[in-house]
Amino acid sequence: MDKDITLLKYSQSNNKRIRLLFLLMFFLLVLFFILDLFLGSVLISPGEIFRAVFNDAGEVTETILSKFRLPKAITALLAGIALSVSGLQMQTLFRNPMAGPYVLGLSSGASLGVAVVILGFSSFIFPEGGSGLGNWAIAGASWLGAGAIMLLIMMISARVKNIMTVLILGIMLSSAISAVVSILQYFSSETMLKSYVIWTMGSLGNITGDQLKVMSIAVATGVILSLISVKMLNAMLLGEDYARSIGLEVKASRNIIIAGTSILTGTVTAFCGPIGFIGIAVPHLSRMVFRTSDHRVLVPATILTGSIIMLGSDMVSQLPGYETVLPINAVTALIGIPVVIWVILQNQKSREIF
Amino acid sequence: MTQIKIAAFFRSAICGVLAFSAFLTQSCGGKTSKVENTAEIQEISSVSYAKRFSLIRHEGYSQVQILDPWQGAKGVVQNWFLVNDTAVIPPSISPSEVIRVPVRRIVCTSTTHLAMISAIGESATVKGFSGTGFLYSKEYNDMISAGSLSEIGYDDNLNKELIIQLRPDLVMMYGIGGESSAFAGKLREMGLKVMFNADYLETSPLGKAEWIKLLGALYAKEYLADSIFTDIEHEYKATETFISENAREHPKVLLGLPFRDTWYVSPGNSYISELIDDAGGNYLWSDIESDISIPMGLENVYIKALTAVYWINTGTAESLGQISSVDSRFKSLPCYTNGNVYNNTGLTNKHGGNDYWENGTILPHIILNDIASILHPELFPDRVLHFYRKLNR
Repeated sequence: MDKDITLLKYSQSNNKRIRLLFLLMFFLLVLFFILDLFLGSVLISPGEIFRAVFNDAGEVTETILSKFRLPKAITALLAGIALSVSGLQMQTLFRNPMAGPYVLGLSSGASLGVAVVILGFSSFIFPEGGSGLGNWAIAGASWLGAGAIMLLIMMISARVKNIMTVLILGIMLSSAISAVVSILQYFSSETMLKSYVIWTMGSLGNITGDQLKVMSIAVATGVILSLISVKMLNAMLLGEDYARSIGLEVKASRNIIIAGTSILTGTVTAFCGPIGFIGIAVPHLSRMVFRTSDHRVLVPATILTGSIIMLGSDMVSQLPGYETVLPINAVTALIGIPVVIWVILQNQKSREIF
Repeated sequence: MTQIKIAAFFRSAICGVLAFSAFLTQSCGGKTSKVENTAEIQEISSVSYAKRFSLIRHEGYSQVQILDPWQGAKGVVQNWFLVNDTAVIPPSISPSEVIRVPVRRIVCTSTTHLAMISAIGESATVKGFSGTGFLYSKEYNDMISAGSLSEIGYDDNLNKELIIQLRPDLVMMYGIGGESSAFAGKLREMGLKVMFNADYLETSPLGKAEWIKLLGALYAKEYLADSIFTDIEHEYKATETFISENAREHPKVLLGLPFRDTWYVSPGNSYISELIDDAGGNYLWSDIESDISIPMGLENVYIKALTAVYWINTGTAESLGQISSVDSRFKSLPCYTNGNVYNNTGLTNKHGGNDYWENGTILPHIILNDIASILHPELFPDRVLHFYRKLNR
């Protein structure tokens, strides 16, 4: 009886804490978004940005802001949301802390599509491969590859009972595809290879106009699907048998979750390349910071955390004040890893989520 | 026009070879009598523009030094003695550093080596090449289809058994990947002579072309190679002088194409930057000094590119439409809207071979004329572009 009361008290105080955290993170998100507009390799003073928003600050500043910085910040925001949410879903679905958005083999599917465009197919059309191909061609190929893998995984998932079988088959599948990609790489010229390698390093800064619209719609769809599946995720956290016993259609929910993840991950990979680390780390980070495994809290929490970290990484990758830039993938890992290690060491007690 | 010129070289080649072999036999004969004088060899390198090799002609043999043959190499020297196969190897020379000339069978790895060998009329000696799928030259493509020129694979996946089978007198490699040399070492272990060729690191167009002198020495056709180079030098200098005397303005030039959100910018001390400079242009990043291309953020490039009048070497983009499909934001650049966009793909074939990377190396004066006539059309009213072409909508 006493225990119940303390638990209730704890959860009440934690609820308060969670509300406060949400407020704080939302504030951080807005701050980082604005900072991301300020900081870049071309220095623009805050005054100039202010003028650019409310009246003209000269054409160049306005172009930089509206055509380069704003789309990039929005892309970072969307990519952060998408990867973190799909990472969370995969970790819960497979009850595996090492799972991430790419565990189903979506990135290898996407990379096969891109490799065919950059390395194989293009060599018959363009003399030096890759970079002459439009963004849409790369995005489309990546989407096709990821989509094909998604369908395959869903077909497998509809046949097998145990979700771990899906995980193992997913890993097998992606290894096989990586092998095909390495053969394509082997037979390509140096320029093509470089284009492909740069693609694998991820990029946020070349999405504009229509592509940004497509990306927003896809990410919104994926996020809505993940909000729908919050209850299923909570049930699955306790095991598929439990989920079944409370009347959940396990295979159907599995497929909703897989579809949501594939849309999110496939889209980000299509437009930004395979961006690593965020998808695995952010869900852990959110669980530790928010001290809960309830997906009603975790889904919005990962959305906030993911986008904040992505915006932060983008700022660093632009190396404000320098002309050169760093690849985003390297930055997400280098920034993210110390943060996660710090949080793990700070939260020895609450690491028992899995 | 070029072909005619090369044919003329061939004709002079024959005379040259005759004259040279006469000279050679003479000097060989004279050598025995002047043994005590061999210490006073003329230590004059006959190389004036290239920085990565030296060539010193001694009595009866030449000494070649390949200097820092890969990116970032410091103080690396590869020493070779080229001894005519009729001559006796001087006892002071280590046999492992000797290459018997003329070379009769060669395996090489760069299109530039092929072009130079072809220019001195020795293409039949090429037995293996890395990247036969991407060649422009009809001569070599015919050899590939006839089966007399084999694909040897790449880097660590070189087909070593095939290379052994080809029995080359010399394997000429370019040293991308440092002491690239897991495979270079392997080839040496198999008893092959592996010479590095660093022509791709030369930052001056004439320096790059001057490597033909090395090939000339390897084929005992020094005279021919020298005369080809002297001609290149003469033509190049003539255009350079003409431009510096007549060009009234130096339009700014943008170079390259981004990949994703990164633009690899060629530094100001690069080969192409020097060509733009000599052609009377003003390269946007001429003030940057670096050994390698620098990855830059797009907004940075965009701001600078707003001032550019011309845009050249657009990589894989073969039309203005393809540029805008790579990144639509560059459509608003003045050089794009004016249609002043040119690519070095005037001579390409369907396999992806581009003569710019083959014969372009030994025709820097033609490339210079191309760029000069792009930047200063008023000075070249009737000139038709050779390696370059204007991009269409």
